[in-house]
Amino acid sequence: MMPNLFTLVLQIAVILAVCRVVGTIFQEIHQPRVVGEMFAGIMLGPSLLGWMAPQLSVYLFPPSSLGFLNALSQVGVVIFMFLVGLGINPKELKHQGHAAVLTSHVSITAPFVLAAFLSLYLYPKLSDDSVAFTSFALFMGAAMSITAFPVLARILTERDLLQSRLGTVAIACAAVDDVTGWCILAYIVLLIRSAHTGTPIWLTVGGLIGFALIMIYGVRRLLRRFETIHREQGALSENLMALMLLLVLGSALCTDWLGLHLLFGAFLMGAIMPKEQKFVRYVLDRFETITVTLLLPLFFAFTGLHTNIGLVKGQEMWIYCAVIIAVATLGKLGGSMLASWLTGMPAREAAGLGTLMNTRGLMELVILNIGLEIKVISPALFSMMVIMALFTTFMTTPVLEWICPDRLIRAASESMPRQVPVPQLDLKATDGSAA
Amino acid sequence: MSATTRNFVIAYVILVLLPLVGLLGILRQGRNLAAPVSVDGNWKLQVDSNQLSAMPCGKSLASAQAAAVTISQSGRNFTLNLANGPKATASGVIDGTALKASVQPSAAWASETGCGSDRVLTLSATVDPKANPKSLVGMLSVEGCPACTPVELRAIREVQAEGKRGR
Repeated sequence: MMPNLFTLVLQIAVILAVCRVVGTIFQEIHQPRVVGEMFAGIMLGPSLLGWMAPQLSVYLFPPSSLGFLNALSQVGVVIFMFLVGLGINPKELKHQGHAAVLTSHVSITAPFVLAAFLSLYLYPKLSDDSVAFTSFALFMGAAMSITAFPVLARILTERDLLQSRLGTVAIACAAVDDVTGWCILAYIVLLIRSAHTGTPIWLTVGGLIGFALIMIYGVRRLLRRFETIHREQGALSENLMALMLLLVLGSALCTDWLGLHLLFGAFLMGAIMPKEQKFVRYVLDRFETITVTLLLPLFFAFTGLHTNIGLVKGQEMWIYCAVIIAVATLGKLGGSMLASWLTGMPAREAAGLGTLMNTRGLMELVILNIGLEIKVISPALFSMMVIMALFTTFMTTPVLEWICPDRLIRAASESMPRQVPVPQLDLKATDGSAA
Repeated sequence: MSATTRNFVIAYVILVLLPLVGLLGILRQGRNLAAPVSVDGNWKLQVDSNQLSAMPCGKSLASAQAAAVTISQSGRNFTLNLANGPKATASGVIDGTALKASVQPSAAWASETGCGSDRVLTLSATVDPKANPKSLVGMLSVEGCPACTPVELRAIREVQAEGKRGR
C-alpha cells in the first residue's frame, strides 16, 4: 500500500515542530534537548494528544499510516546505532584500571539481578503465559542495566566534565554497559525468535558468531581504507560515504536475516570502524545532523504513539511503576556508587558516578521498542518502563548538580592521577544537541 | 598475586559472580510461576447477527459481527477493539480462564444507541487455553436490562505472525 504522502509529510512536520519546541524548553531548564524530545514524543501519543483531542490524534496519526512512520524512524535508529558503535573505542576499554572494570560490571549485574528478582513479582501480574519467565526476566534485566552512552557524553560535555576522572570512568563504564547490554539483548531476541521459527538456537548463534568473526577480522581491515583516505585527503567523497552507509545497511540486513535484529548489525559496523579521532568526528558530523534532527524525533513520536500512560491505571499499577523506578535506580545508581566507593572513589564522587550511570535515555527506548516488537513485554509494562526511562534520564542533571557540584569533581580530578584514558566520543548535532 | 589484584578478585567474586549465581536461582524459581492465560492478538468473532440486532446496543455491533476483534493484553487486564465495528472499546480482566469486559462506547455511538449510560454492554467468556488455535466461548449481555436476552458468541484466535514469544 502506498503511503498517503500528505499525511506522512504533515506527521513529520508536526513531530519536528513539537520536538524542537519542547526540546528548547527543556534546554532552558538545563536538561539535554533529547530529554525534551522524548517527552514531546509521549505528548503526541495517546497519553496526551489522543486523550485531550482524540479526533485530531486520529486525523494526524491514523493507524494505517503508522507503518510508514515506523519504517522511517527505524532507518534513523539504524544509523543512530551505527553512530553509537562508532563512538565506542574497544582499545580504551582494554586500558581501564581494575576499579573501572569492577564498577562497570557491578553497574550491570546489580540492576540486572534486581530486575530479575522484581520479575518474580511482576511476571504473574503484567505478563501472560505465552512469554517464558526466563525471557521476561532477562529482558527486564537488560532493559534496566542499559546506560544512555550518548546522553551521558552530552551531559558531561555540557558540564565540561568529559576529561575529569568522574567523566572518563563514567564514559568507559557506560560503553561496557552498552556493549554487554546489547549482547544480552541479542541472546534474548535469539532465544525468542528461534523458539518461534523452530531453528535450533545453536545454528543461529553459530551463524552470528561466524558473521561477527568475519566482520572483526575481515571487514574491519578493509574499513581502515576509509581512515587512510580521510587522512590523506582530509575528506571522504560522496561515493565513499554512500559506500559506508551501504555497509551499515548490509550489516544490519545480515543480522536481521540471521535471526537477530537490524540494530545489532548497525551497532557492530560502528564498533569495528577505525577509531582515529578526526575520522570519527568527520563521520559523526556527516551523519548526525539528519539523524538527530529529523529521523530520531520520528522515533520518539513513534515510541510515544505506543506509550499509553492511560494503561497504567489504578493505584496498583502506579505502585508497580514506582517500584520499577525504585529498583532501576537502586540497582544502577546504588550498584555503581557502591562499587566505585569500594574501589577508592570518594563518596560524593561515587554518588555522582552512580547518578550518571542511571541515565537511560534513548538507548532504553530502543530496547523497549524491541521488547514490545517481539512481545516479551506487554503494552502496560512498556508504558511503565518508558516512564522509568524518562524519570531516570530527567533526574540525572539536577541530582548530579545537587550531590556532586562541578567544583568538587574538578577538585577531585586535580588531586588524583587519571586512571582511564580520555574517550573520544562527543556525539552532538550541529546545534549542540545530542541523542 | 599483589594485594590490589587479590582485593579486586575478592570484590569481583562478591559483587559480580555471586549475584550472577543468585540470578540463576531466580530464573529457576521463576519457572514455577504461572502468568495469566494469553488472549492477546486478533480474534475472529462468530455471533448470531439476528440475536445481536434484537439486543439494545447490539444493532450497530451486528454489522461488525464477522469482523476481527483485537485484544491487547497486559497481564490480567486487557482492552478489546472491534476492527470494523463502532467506535467502542472494551476493557476487562482475566481471572483464570474467565474473561469479563465492559464495553465503553464512544460519545457518538452512545448518543446513537443509548448505550453507555445506564445500559452497559458486558462480555463474559471462557477461553480454552489448550485449543489450537485458541478459542473462547461466552455471552454478550446488557447490564441493567433483565428482559434483554444475552447473545452467545464464539471467537477463534488468528495465528500470530510474530511468534509470541520466548517459549
